[in-house]
Amino acid sequence: MNRRVLFAIAILVWAVLPMVLPRHFTDLLVFAAIYSVAGLGVGLLLGHCGIVTLAQSAFYAIGAYASAIVTVNLKLPMIVGVAAGLVTSGVIALALGWPVLRLRGYFLAVATLALAMIASALFFEWDWLTGGTIGLGGIPKLGAFGVVLDTPQSFYYAAWITAALSMILVHNLVSGRTGLAMRSMRDAIDAARVLAIDIHSLRVQMFVLCAMLGSLSGSLFAHYTGYVSVASFSIDKAILFLLIPVIGGAGSIAGIIVGALFITFVPEVLSKIGDFHGIVFGLALVIVVIAAPHGIVGTVERWWHNRRSGVSPTAEARR
Amino acid sequence: MTLSLVAQAVLSGVTNGVIYALIGMGLAVIFKGSRAINAAQGEFSLIGAVASVFAMKAAGFSYPAAFAVGALAGAATGVLIDLLLVRPMIRRRAQEDAFLLLTIGIAFAISAAVLFFAGRDYFTLPSIGSDGVAILFDATIRYHAIWVIVITALIVIALRAFYRKTNIGLSMMAASIDADGASTTGINVDLMRTATYGMGGLLGALAGLLVAPLVPISFYMGLVFTLKGFCAAMIGGLTNPMGAIVGGLMLGLLESLAIVFIASAYKDVVALTVLIVIMILVPHGILGRAGRAGG
Amino acid sequence: MTSLDVREIGHSFGGLNVLTNVSFEVPAGKIVGLIGPNGSGKSTLFNIINGFLVPRAGKVLLNGTDLSAMSVEARSRAGLVRTFQTPKVFEHMTVIENLMAGAYKLTRSGVLSDMLRLPGARRDVAMMRDQAHELCRRFGLERLHATAAGLLTSGQRRMLELARTYAGKPQLLLLDEPSSGLTAEEVSQLGEWLKTLNNEGMTLLLVSHDMQLMNVASMVHVLYFGEIVATGTMDDIQRNPKVREVYLGA
Repeated sequence: MNRRVLFAIAILVWAVLPMVLPRHFTDLLVFAAIYSVAGLGVGLLLGHCGIVTLAQSAFYAIGAYASAIVTVNLKLPMIVGVAAGLVTSGVIALALGWPVLRLRGYFLAVATLALAMIASALFFEWDWLTGGTIGLGGIPKLGAFGVVLDTPQSFYYAAWITAALSMILVHNLVSGRTGLAMRSMRDAIDAARVLAIDIHSLRVQMFVLCAMLGSLSGSLFAHYTGYVSVASFSIDKAILFLLIPVIGGAGSIAGIIVGALFITFVPEVLSKIGDFHGIVFGLALVIVVIAAPHGIVGTVERWWHNRRSGVSPTAEARR
Repeated sequence: MTLSLVAQAVLSGVTNGVIYALIGMGLAVIFKGSRAINAAQGEFSLIGAVASVFAMKAAGFSYPAAFAVGALAGAATGVLIDLLLVRPMIRRRAQEDAFLLLTIGIAFAISAAVLFFAGRDYFTLPSIGSDGVAILFDATIRYHAIWVIVITALIVIALRAFYRKTNIGLSMMAASIDADGASTTGINVDLMRTATYGMGGLLGALAGLLVAPLVPISFYMGLVFTLKGFCAAMIGGLTNPMGAIVGGLMLGLLESLAIVFIASAYKDVVALTVLIVIMILVPHGILGRAGRAGG
Repeated sequence: MTSLDVREIGHSFGGLNVLTNVSFEVPAGKIVGLIGPNGSGKSTLFNIINGFLVPRAGKVLLNGTDLSAMSVEARSRAGLVRTFQTPKVFEHMTVIENLMAGAYKLTRSGVLSDMLRLPGARRDVAMMRDQAHELCRRFGLERLHATAAGLLTSGQRRMLELARTYAGKPQLLLLDEPSSGLTAEEVSQLGEWLKTLNNEGMTLLLVSHDMQLMNVASMVHVLYFGEIVATGTMDDIQRNPKVREVYLGA
């Protein structure tokens, strides 16, 4: 009962925020929602498959460019753009993921970084497609049935609802048969294989899903800002998306939300000091890795559980 | 396809190659000594170059003194990273990917710090010897580049001797192969690991110091260096610092040839693709025992 | 009913011959044992049969099908599963979840059905969960069903691993030193379990140095430095002079 009431209050607060907060803050919250979708994918790979991926910025870019090109150059409906992004990202993730995901540990992470950098270089070079540093502008705003979402306040709802839906889908996945397989794979890979859990296929599927979430995030971004260019898709973004599950906590939806809020609001808070947020992010990553490996939410959960039961958690996931 | 074009490609390939080799050696040294991939290796190069530039510009040091300052800065950074950050992780028996995330964080923080304190400017250092060029087979090579090749060769010889002949070098190797065994023979494993990071930092800084007169360095280049160095190290055998030489040279030549035959814009793409392909095709052959778990 | 046919398996590690011309059969519905001193190649042989290693020579057939091209996962789907010398349980998952994972290959719902919580996926999960509870009861793990597997004792882990393997309804079960880490009483319980599983139609290939446990086997092969030196019932083996030399002399 208590939890339901809390949840209802939270939803109410969420719904009311854009009406009471300054436009600037709402704008940040929109970005938090957009980034959380990308971070959700990275968190899925990190938390459930033990894979560090730095390629998310590439798929984010693909989604953004797909939406831009389809709606501006081809003048097709927005949904086609989103779909084009999803399909392109999915296919590329499948084609590249199949060989690359045979790697493990560091090597896989480095390979994903290399992929992101290759993508970055190509986006820059192929300016006939992407507009290079000049970029593509005039991307239509999200809208249907006569309603156009061209303010942060209105886009806020679309962004967060999209994020919520994505989170529900991922949550279902994780609580189902696939989630069981992933956790088995993470705990004892040989034993999982002996149970006919196809490790490689699972990793590739999750990589594709992660890429598609990145693409969705990018499409949202394109329709929110109305303009995309290579500047938005540098390696910084790749690290930023990685920060979301690492700092927030890869094991839970709450962690993703906290992480997304962290990466959106911290630069804002630090903007007075100048380009300082990079240092803070780097340090935050270092500190979290050393002192709070389960992220903010994960650490809080453990602390809370320890307090309540007095003993180490029994059926708790511990990494 | 003229001789001079090929010769030019070879010369610039070798020049770049030895830089990659130095970074690769630093990576290999750290991997050999601590089984960790240091994603911040390229940042040591950045630190070395920047420290040196500041020593000269702000403190008026002479070039040789500034060079030393840069090298020391790199080594010191490596040592600090081990003492402050790696040691607590080892105590906690952290997993592989945790170390990777740690070094990514360090790399990001250092790049951001350089951006913040030194701005978006490009840094260069004066050349060793004169600014002139030599002509070989109708191709030009800067005197500094020749110095770079010579100095790197000396570093390689010194490193080899260090690991084979000196007590510290042998102890470092022992500590990395079998930490428990080494500590029973009185080797301070922690200290050896710190020394390893210091060595890696030194090699990284030297790479930065040697390349700065040739290619202006800016805050974002740490990552590119790291990846190219990693490629060099992988080709040559990740646990073998000497192999990084071969790897670096091969990568440098491959890049130059790519510039000649394809287009200069794609040279990074070539290097990165080579990296991915190597990792996929030769994981066991190069790493031997370390292959299966990916480090 | 299944049968395993191991033909002329040879393997070496870096020039050192670990297995030489190993051939034997495991007839359907029987319990066959493999004994031998440490270092005789038993684990390597298991790794080859189950697919973790590719042998340098020879092949393994399951019900007449050559397994050479089949991955570990494919062999598992064909009914060939194994346990490990140190039980590999899924540490951070509960006993129930471990058992559910065991039934993974009996279900087919994919990523999309899971995400959308389609009826097929929900049915599969329910089936896996029900079966898991049933197995808990059968294998005496009921008390522990919500405990993280990482907190179980050696004996409990062994039971869990066995139950989890059983969950997938295997046809041929390879057991690698199942008695290691168990008390004498637990070993005798294990022996009873193996006989029960065998009575239900499961074929077993058992590697153990525990002579007591080996008594459940109807046929035993002795592996010595990568070669089979004797074959027979436990009685035959124990009276065989060469075996005595190998075990007592070596």
